[in-house]
Amino acid sequence: MNKEEQLRIINNAINQTKQNLKPLGYNLVFWSIVVISMSLFHYFFPQIVQFSYYSAAIYWISIPLLGMIYTTNYNIKNGIKVGYETQLDRVIKIIWGVFGFAWIFIVAISLIYKVSPVQDVLFLLSIVLIMTGLIIKFNNVTIGGIGLLIFTAYSYYNPLMNLLLVNVVGLSLGMLVPGLSLYFQKNDE
Amino acid sequence: MMNKETEKLLFNPIRLKAISFLISVEKCNFKTLIDVTDSTKGNLSIQLKKLNEAGLIDIKKYFHKSYPRTDYSITKKGKKSFEEFFKELKLLK
Repeated sequence: MNKEEQLRIINNAINQTKQNLKPLGYNLVFWSIVVISMSLFHYFFPQIVQFSYYSAAIYWISIPLLGMIYTTNYNIKNGIKVGYETQLDRVIKIIWGVFGFAWIFIVAISLIYKVSPVQDVLFLLSIVLIMTGLIIKFNNVTIGGIGLLIFTAYSYYNPLMNLLLVNVVGLSLGMLVPGLSLYFQKNDE
Repeated sequence: MMNKETEKLLFNPIRLKAISFLISVEKCNFKTLIDVTDSTKGNLSIQLKKLNEAGLIDIKKYFHKSYPRTDYSITKKGKKSFEEFFKELKLLK
């Protein structure tokens, strides 16, 4: 095997790695649909969600936890199917893992102090979306994150805004639309 | 200057393909390495074992839903050796 052949082997092997961002798009779409549906259900049927003192907290914790279990399982299965994990996949996984832990922390603090976690969660989500968009170099996600950040900041100055509707509008523009564009984009092969 | 032992190890095309792929990913499974190296299970196992014994790759065995799985990743030593090997190849070209 001569030097040219060795270089060709190295080049071919490295080029077999393909960055597939479709699973990330799926995760964004899944979570935006779950939270938007939950917000709309809470908005239209408050008598069901808020039938007791802790029912709304149970509603907003149990369903997202089930969603976390589902998406974790989906991502593990997808990882096994693809067969390899790139450095970018690992970075994205860590960022969203940290977001998951921070979400639990914010919800726990808001339960203790009896305040709404919506704006804090949306603020954190917008930062994570901007980071993700910049890392994967996908402008729609970055713009979605910036839009969500501006919308969240606006909601802080308008305390009369319904936070469930803030959730619906913010996530539709900041997460659902960018997630769909990421999911349906052509893979860089 | 590159280690002669590493140079000898990477002279084998299967080992070179495997380590070149592993440098571009965080980790990968055995099936992917079969596809990448275009070799048989038995031969690939032997070559990967040699890379592991030389400290160039890590082998992690675990169970997922009762199925045995193996993940392969490049070590710090492996990265350094591959980079030196690649640098020398480009100089000699």
